[in-house]
Amino acid sequence: MYDTSAGKKIAEARALDKNDQEIMVKSMEDGIETVWDRFADQQPQCGFGNLGVCCNRCAMGPCRTEPFGKKPTRGTCGADADLIVARNLLDDLTTGAAAHSDHGREVVEAMLATAEGRAQGYQILDEGKLNVVATEYGIKTAGRKKEEIAGELARALLEEYGTLKNKIQMTERAPQKTKDAWKKLGIMPRSVDREVVEAMHRIHMGVDADYTNILLHAMRTALSDGWGGSMMGTDCSDILFGTPTPLKAWINLATISRDKVNIVLHGHNPVLSDMIVKAAADPSLVKRAKDAGAKGINLAGMCCTGNELLMRRGIPLAGSFFDQELVIATGAVEAMVIDYQCIFPAVTQTAGCYHTKVVTTSRKAKIPGAIHKEFRPDNAYDTAKEIIGLAIDNFANRNPARVRIPDKPMQLMSGFSEEAIRKALGGTYKPLIDAIVAGKIKGAVGIVGCNNPKIKQDYGHVTLAKELIRRDILVVETGCAAIACGKAGLLVPEAADMAGPGLKSVCNALGIPPVLHMGSCVDCSRILVLAANIAKELNVGISDLPLGGAAPEWYSQKAISIGTYFVASGVYTVLGIPPKIFGSANVTNLLAAQLTGIVNASFAVEPDPLKAADLLEAEINRKRKALGI
Amino acid sequence: MKTVFVTPELCIGCRHCEVACVIEHAKSKQLFAAVAEEKRSQPRVYVETGMHYLTFPNRCRHCDPAPCMQVCPTEALVRDDATASVLVRYERCIGCAVCAMACPFGIIRFNSVHQLDTDREVNAKCDNCIERQRAGAIPACAEACKTGALTFGEAGDLIRSSRKDFTLRLIAAQETGAEAPKMPANIKAFRSIMARLAELTGEN
Repeated sequence: MYDTSAGKKIAEARALDKNDQEIMVKSMEDGIETVWDRFADQQPQCGFGNLGVCCNRCAMGPCRTEPFGKKPTRGTCGADADLIVARNLLDDLTTGAAAHSDHGREVVEAMLATAEGRAQGYQILDEGKLNVVATEYGIKTAGRKKEEIAGELARALLEEYGTLKNKIQMTERAPQKTKDAWKKLGIMPRSVDREVVEAMHRIHMGVDADYTNILLHAMRTALSDGWGGSMMGTDCSDILFGTPTPLKAWINLATISRDKVNIVLHGHNPVLSDMIVKAAADPSLVKRAKDAGAKGINLAGMCCTGNELLMRRGIPLAGSFFDQELVIATGAVEAMVIDYQCIFPAVTQTAGCYHTKVVTTSRKAKIPGAIHKEFRPDNAYDTAKEIIGLAIDNFANRNPARVRIPDKPMQLMSGFSEEAIRKALGGTYKPLIDAIVAGKIKGAVGIVGCNNPKIKQDYGHVTLAKELIRRDILVVETGCAAIACGKAGLLVPEAADMAGPGLKSVCNALGIPPVLHMGSCVDCSRILVLAANIAKELNVGISDLPLGGAAPEWYSQKAISIGTYFVASGVYTVLGIPPKIFGSANVTNLLAAQLTGIVNASFAVEPDPLKAADLLEAEINRKRKALGI
Repeated sequence: MKTVFVTPELCIGCRHCEVACVIEHAKSKQLFAAVAEEKRSQPRVYVETGMHYLTFPNRCRHCDPAPCMQVCPTEALVRDDATASVLVRYERCIGCAVCAMACPFGIIRFNSVHQLDTDREVNAKCDNCIERQRAGAIPACAEACKTGALTFGEAGDLIRSSRKDFTLRLIAAQETGAEAPKMPANIKAFRSIMARLAELTGEN
């Protein structure tokens, strides 16, 4: 017999949010294996891997170096710990950069298909942003049809992935001083795919053996993501689906409906899910749901697909990365529709314990046990309707005896695109800059990243955000960090009461929360544009601004890329989970100290969010002092 | 007396010793064949986390007198005088698990073994790699360990070396300039971060 009080204690240690805890206890009662159980089963995890000194690249290996000063100090090829660690880090970072940029490419391709009339159900929704971006690319806009402009822009963007131009136009958005620093270091990215391919080349045995040179290329690859692939993903999503503006919505597992057909949209790319939102309003499908005995169709987002839909459409957000198994354990999800990235391969096993159907939609991301409905721009609307139909048909299989849904959804305010923030400030960053100069706001920190079983879910995100706003530091967030703070009630204007007096007065004057939800993880590019625009108004580099970055609960290789483009752009970044670099004192020292002399920013590792807040405040004060404020 | 000596602070949890142990006790003594054997060989050394993600490679200490031997009702447990190892005569083991109850280290595990014709689960604990030792080799776990957490040798020598390390640390602590064996700073930094993470979560 399952002991519920013991289960409650375990749930309290694993997750911060009460709703998550409630469903976690149910998942234990139901005998469901979750990410926390699998992590426990993995203990102990290999120290060679944890320290980054395990090399499994070639067939002379696998090799590892001894971390305590004995032999072997080199792999079979002769690589020492510095090289093995640097190659592994570049490999991870490149995986992350490729994931972001390939997502970006699919959005650009959807825009091209839309422009050429090959896409079903899509349209150019934000002509204003289309014209702004097109002008940056030297594309004439006056007197032309939006489809023509979008087609030309999409081709120009796809060339950013090529090798002829040897330049990424979007890097021009960075302030001059920042660009000069990149040029001086030789890390100005040349093209999105080129940096990824060259990274793969460099980590082949017998190519780059200089750890510093490898880490410089890591920075260049990260920049090709942040100021390239991710930025294109964000901008083209805005052009196709609309640039987000502030809106109110609901968040947490209580957004799952008791009496409607629940469809959870999980993954990262809005190209698919936005079409499902459109199709879910189709009267024939709503009628079909009612005929099936449901009161309608309830869409709920998950992870960054959820963030995309929340930002633009106000679709309720069921939760973050670690809620994907819990949401199924409510027993009330008819279908989980996934695109890609951060989907647990075990999700079909979890779904198999209930009536939930998992629908994969990308040729790149199939899962055994899922139903595959391939989703392409030319069949988008029909496929979306088909998927919804499948969920409706599954409603009859829901077993009410196995359903438990928490009853308190949390409200949140989302939709803070860079454009929306600028507009809220009156079209210029001057009011924000004035508040920073006057010391009402000391600076700003971007909290980003995931969940990781090495830290209690949401504890790192929420504790750090609360502590920073208390110290009058504005917080901007993306990804699962934003979802965590949304669940904790920090994304409402009333949360300004938790902020220090200076930040509180600014938030109250503008009617905004002290923690701003800026989107999905590709939308970290919005943070870059925000920082660039502030720096340009002051005629300084990004590295001069009193800013910081933090990834308290990161797990993904994408987070390594994000952290690195933050640092390479001049933003000091604190990681809550140690990266696999500690096997090399030289690599660790370069990333944690020497980088400051090169890009005026570095990495730090600090799991305790209160101590991380101290580090970030000290960095902000260092930069304020240098600015003479 | 030769023994496998454990220096816990050098264990990084790679479980290479477990894999080497599985291979040594497989019928084929080959990795790729071992994973396909009908009676799958199981590790007889256990690398487990205690707290703060720190690990300890736990195995039979081949005690003398051995509590397991003393309580075994069928005299399935016997001592090999040449190596001072406690060995199991699988055919005599009745799977009563009294030895496991008496074992101070909790390292006795019951499995079916290729030496028996039946699937009966018997005490399949560490045999100190008796076959390897008779052939002049050291136990597989100690051979596999890259960090020196497991070393094989005369107990007296290994203890003396460990004692000397302690003495040097004590003298160095008095600022005498003596060179004490040190944990590398990067490893200390990593372990301190993992310890703080573990404290925050209250697990591991």
